[in-house]
Parts: sequence; structure tokens; C-alpha cells
Amino acid sequence: MSLPYLKKAVAEDDRETLIRYVRLHLGDGDDAAGSKEIDKAWVEALKPLLELPETDRGFIESTLAERDHATLCHLFFYLHLYLVRHSGEWIHDGPF
Amino acid sequence: MGIPSVSPSVARDVTEHAKPPRAVFLPFMMGHHFGVPFHKQLQRRVLMEMLAELESATESGSIRDLDLSWAQARREGKEIEARLASAGG
Amino acid sequence: MAPSDSSPSKQLRPGLWQVVNDRYPGSMITKEDLVPLAALKKPLSECRVAFLSTSGVQPKGSLRFDTAHPVGDFTFRRVPSESPVEDLEIHQLKYPTFGAERDLNVIFPIERLRELRDEGVIGALNKSFYTFIGYNMDPERVERTLARDVAEALVEDQVDIALAAPA
Repeated sequence: MSLPYLKKAVAEDDRETLIRYVRLHLGDGDDAAGSKEIDKAWVEALKPLLELPETDRGFIESTLAERDHATLCHLFFYLHLYLVRHSGEWIHDGPF
Repeated sequence: MGIPSVSPSVARDVTEHAKPPRAVFLPFMMGHHFGVPFHKQLQRRVLMEMLAELESATESGSIRDLDLSWAQARREGKEIEARLASAGG
Repeated sequence: MAPSDSSPSKQLRPGLWQVVNDRYPGSMITKEDLVPLAALKKPLSECRVAFLSTSGVQPKGSLRFDTAHPVGDFTFRRVPSESPVEDLEIHQLKYPTFGAERDLNVIFPIERLRELRDEGVIGALNKSFYTFIGYNMDPERVERTLARDVAEALVEDQVDIALAAPA
């Protein structure tokens, strides 16, 4: 979806179009694959936390407090790819 | 004016829409515009065809179809790899 | 120009433009106008050649292309034309790289170009090749920024020929 198309969807609060775009983007053009990828990333994020390991809460808090919104959004896309790569099941053609 | 350019294409329809000044079309897989691994002769051939197109194209937007096939390229690639493996082993 | 259905059996993935444009409306480029044909000004054997590529090939250690950004990456990398292939890597997610992972020349024929230069088929290779990624949701901005930046670099380098390869 081109940028004007996506911006129009945001302006019109056209959630279905935006959700479809995100799924297409993360699924390399396949809606269903993208949906599965999103779920996969969340499952990967869940797994290590079940053992309640020590995590760097200070880093998380300061990152959320100090970094600008767009950078955090950009990081979210990176974290998605990081997590699906961590799953060991990589559907994309090239390396991250 | 301008710098002469030429493009290889594996998607003829995309190239027809984008209309680069000169293109050569190869029926190859995406990401494999110059052929298959270790097939130096084929990789070179595609480059030579592109260079020839720079000299011979007379109309902007022209796309010249090359007489190549992906199946044959893969077959030749496998033969080359088999030869390389036996030479290396 | 011949219509695309003149050779429907030859393209491995027929109707690619339509398929991608249906999924990502407005992302695929359609030009109405033809670019005037720039003529070769000297024999190939005297020409300085640059290779441009959407392959996402880049020198190891350079800032990797932003394959995560949902709109795309509008930057390019300079790849020294004398780079050993071992010093290069690919960062992109949208085309099959199984061939390139074993022999980079299938998408970035840097070694074949050096051979053509050594044999005198072409005069010289530009000191830099130019690379970027093909995924982009804002083709208009690509034209205004990335394409212009690369074109200006080519003019500055006094390149005689640009081999412009998609991936």
C-alpha cells in the first residue's frame, strides 16, 4: 500500500485497511501469514518470561521515558523481526 | 543529456509499467537476474547482452527478450556444481 | 512496445505487477512518459561503468538497510567496485536470496564486471557501485530523494554507463 493510501486510511480511521497492511507487510504479501507472524512474535516474547528471569527494568523504563514516540514505534518493528527470527521459523526471503 | 542506462528484468510486466529506457528480459527467478551460482558464462552473457543493448537500442522503453530459459540455467548450474565438487573432492 | 501478454509463458511469475499492486495499492510504479534515450558517447571499451542495484548488498560493517521500517529505507550505500565478495552482505527481506547466498554474482555480478574490465570490454569500473533496497511504500519520495541522490553521485563520478539492476 502506498503511503498516501495508508495516510488516507489513518485519516478515516479505517482500521481494517491498516490491519491488513500490517499483516501484508509482516507476512511478505500474505495476509494470513502476517497474522501468524504477529502471534508468533508475541509467543516468543512470552516464553522467556515464564521463568521470571531478572530483566533490566531500568533500561525499559528509561527507554520508554526518554526516547521519542517514533523511535519507539520503529523499535517495535525491529523487535517483531528480532522475535520471529528468534523463533527459528523465518518466512522472509532475505536475512534480517 | 543524461547517462545511458540499461536494466535486466525478470518481470516483463513490471518493466513495461516502469518504462526504463533500455531493458533486457530474462525468464529467471526473482533475485537471480544474472543466473545461477557459479555459472560464470551465463552471468557474463547477461552483462554482455545488457552492454549490447546500450549500443543497439534505438527507442526508449524497448525491452529485448533474451533466448534463455530458467530450466536450462538451473540444469547447467547443477552440472557446473557437480564438476566443481568432483574437482574439489 | 509489445504488451505483456505477448510472452506470458516466459515470465516465471506472470502478472507480478498486478498481484503486488492489488496487495499494496499504489506501491507499484507506472510511468506514462518515456525517458529520452541518452546515447553512448564513446566506445564501450572507453566507458566508465557503474552498477546500481536494489539488492540490498552492502559492505559488512556499514549501517544495515532498514528492512523493518514499514515505509522503506531511502538511503543508499557505496560499494567499492574492488570489494572482495567476502566483504559484502545482503540486508533485505523481499526477494529470494538462496542463489546469492552461495554466489553473490547472481544478483550483484561484481566479479564478472571486474573480468570485463580486465579484458578491456569496458574501459573502467566506477570506484563505487550504488545499492539500496527495493521495498518501498512511497515511490514518489524515492524519486525525489534516493533516485536523485544516486543520480547526482553518478554525475559527480563522471560515469559513462549505468547498469541499473532491480532484484
